[in-house]
Amino acid sequence: MNVAIIGCNGMGRMHAQMAVNCGFNVVACADLELSTARSVASGFDADATDDCFGVLTRPDVDVVGIMTPTPTHTEYVVAAAKAGKHIFCEKPFGRTVQQCKEAIAAAKKARVKLFVGHVVRYFQEFEAMRAQVAQGKVGKVGFVRLYRGGIFPAGQSGWFRDLEQSGGVTLDSMIHDFDWLRYVFGDADRVFCQALQRTVPNHVDYSMATFRMKNGIIAKVIGTWAHPSGFRVEAEICGDQGIIQFNSDDTPLKAMKRTAPGAGASMIVPSSPVHTSPYQLEWEDFKVWLDGKLRARVTPEDALEAVRMATAALKSAETGKPVKL
Amino acid sequence: MAKIGIMSFAHMHANGYAACLNELPEAELVAVWDDNAKRGREAAKQYGTSFVGDMDRFLESGLDGVIVTSENVKHRAMVEAAAAAGKWVLCEKPLATTVADAKAIIAACKKAEVGLSTAFPCRFSPPLIEVRDLIESGEYGVLYAANCTNNGQCPGGWFAQEELSGGGATMDHTVHVADLLRWMTGREFTWVYCENGMLVHDNLGMDDLGSLHMEMEGGLKVSHTASWSRCKSFPAWGDVTLEIVAEKGVIAVDAFNQKLDVYNDNAMKAEWAHWGSNPDLGLVKEFVASCDERRAPSVTGLDGLRAVEVTVAAYKSAKSGRVVKV
Ligand SMILES: NC(=O)c1ccc[n+]([C@@H]2O[C@H](COP(=O)([O-])OP(=O)(O)OC[C@H]3O[C@@H](n4cnc5c(N)ncnc54)[C@H](O)[C@@H]3O)[C@@H](O)[C@H]2O)c1
Repeated sequence: MNVAIIGCNGMGRMHAQMAVNCGFNVVACADLELSTARSVASGFDADATDDCFGVLTRPDVDVVGIMTPTPTHTEYVVAAAKAGKHIFCEKPFGRTVQQCKEAIAAAKKARVKLFVGHVVRYFQEFEAMRAQVAQGKVGKVGFVRLYRGGIFPAGQSGWFRDLEQSGGVTLDSMIHDFDWLRYVFGDADRVFCQALQRTVPNHVDYSMATFRMKNGIIAKVIGTWAHPSGFRVEAEICGDQGIIQFNSDDTPLKAMKRTAPGAGASMIVPSSPVHTSPYQLEWEDFKVWLDGKLRARVTPEDALEAVRMATAALKSAETGKPVKL
Repeated sequence: MAKIGIMSFAHMHANGYAACLNELPEAELVAVWDDNAKRGREAAKQYGTSFVGDMDRFLESGLDGVIVTSENVKHRAMVEAAAAAGKWVLCEKPLATTVADAKAIIAACKKAEVGLSTAFPCRFSPPLIEVRDLIESGEYGVLYAANCTNNGQCPGGWFAQEELSGGGATMDHTVHVADLLRWMTGREFTWVYCENGMLVHDNLGMDDLGSLHMEMEGGLKVSHTASWSRCKSFPAWGDVTLEIVAEKGVIAVDAFNQKLDVYNDNAMKAEWAHWGSNPDLGLVKEFVASCDERRAPSVTGLDGLRAVEVTVAAYKSAKSGRVVKV
């Protein structure tokens, strides 16, 4: 099966490799910046173009990977569906709930398969936590705390900085945790959220949300784009018989490189290598679905609900009131 | 030499304070009084002091100050009695379970012209003192947000009886962090939102976890988790953590993370042995000094009241589902 990648910077480059690892051919790379498209295409012997809509109608393309900035996802999903292509779309599914609905309707109408990259469902540590919970290791769960983030992401042309486009850390990053919460603990009833969303004097976002799930569980989700460096994920699940904790700083490997003779280490790179990248597991799962077997772990409706949770959190942050889901 | 008495060993912190009094050369633990005579007698024996069963006699026995470590709802009556007898008072946190009681405690001490302190030992924790110093230095610029926790194990006993404790984990574990933030920033809380409930126990009958969102003057955003979520097999009693986000960086502190990992076959669970400085010692030392010098303690009754106001607002919010002004 042949894949076209739209949006070829950070995520596009990586997804092209993951698709190839799963036996797909990357035949076309499209980006508004032709040079960006070229830099990925050259590695896969694919065509490069800046005609991002044109590429969708190529007869040899079976699957479209949409790795563009968030607010542009929907227009590409809709166009790809109209062209009869299956779709792998990065999270967040859309910038608004309405966009997600449009995308779902278009895919349904065209009878194409639409997968949204909620990769945390494929992260080995999160799967291990889910399994421990399922095995009853903490008993009945009452409280979940999830923490994610580090530096403010750069991105091409700084679109992350435009909170209207990216939705800040609440939509862009915490959506991973929102989706995972729903995946493991069911739907949320309401949310209260405080978010910084500062642009002066620096771009800083830090968001603190409390969800009350329908089953009564309280979930606290913290997202940061406020740290001067690094990236960290923490999780804690508390039940009536135990606690599970995870901290990504606690890695099996830490590499320290000396830049100049006699100088100290300039940077410590922590690493937690696994046999198969969770991003590849997403493509494997998508492929199983495309092959007509099991449905993928993430449905477009799941992805919509995650956007709903994020937009409700943002609304709470804006209004200073709890928001019902 | 300050002569100090302890009123009630209902709260386990009494043990820590008694040990501090015995350790400090400038203080003497002269007597213990307790409305539970058996408990008081045993404690007196353990800390090498005498038990006085009659409260009036206890208060007449030449004490300079008393430490009140009773059940939360009894603080008011005991502090009022101690103040009327002219004793300096160090009262366990929360100062009271209602704003009215906290105000009455302050008024009684003011009227009697005695010093009143609230037991906020975290103010004497070196890692937390350093956080305050970093903030005060101005190096981190404007403060934007703070994300905090005070998790602990469920103390059980009277803590789980609302008529004695006044509430659960939200009552027990909001005040330390509320006080730390006031102390570190010099700002007051303006509003509180709280979700709480019985989440990690199956029949405690009261809240064992609260997730709070608050704002302080100047728009400083605060979230806090107050809990009794630490299970019996957890390696330590709990934690006090703050992550403070500011214009020029982030300060994260895990106040009791000076620990050894201890594995012991008899316990059959991992344990964290804390080797950092004991904050209780600083608290008791300051209280003893205030008794000696007949001056106001550095941590005041008003500090206790402010933290109570936040806690009471949290319960109001949890009940109404609304943001509550402090
Ligand atoms: N799953 C994850 O772990 C994860 C991590 C980071 C980002 N993401 C998501 O992936 C998406 C892309 O993020 P990124 O970090 O790669 O961003 P990026 O800014 O690095 O790359 C986006 C690319 O899209 C191109 N582009 C911009 N507008 C376009 C348009 N209208 N049409 C075609 N191309 C366009 C840009 O030139 C750039 O090359 C975002 O939705 C983001 O939220 C997911």
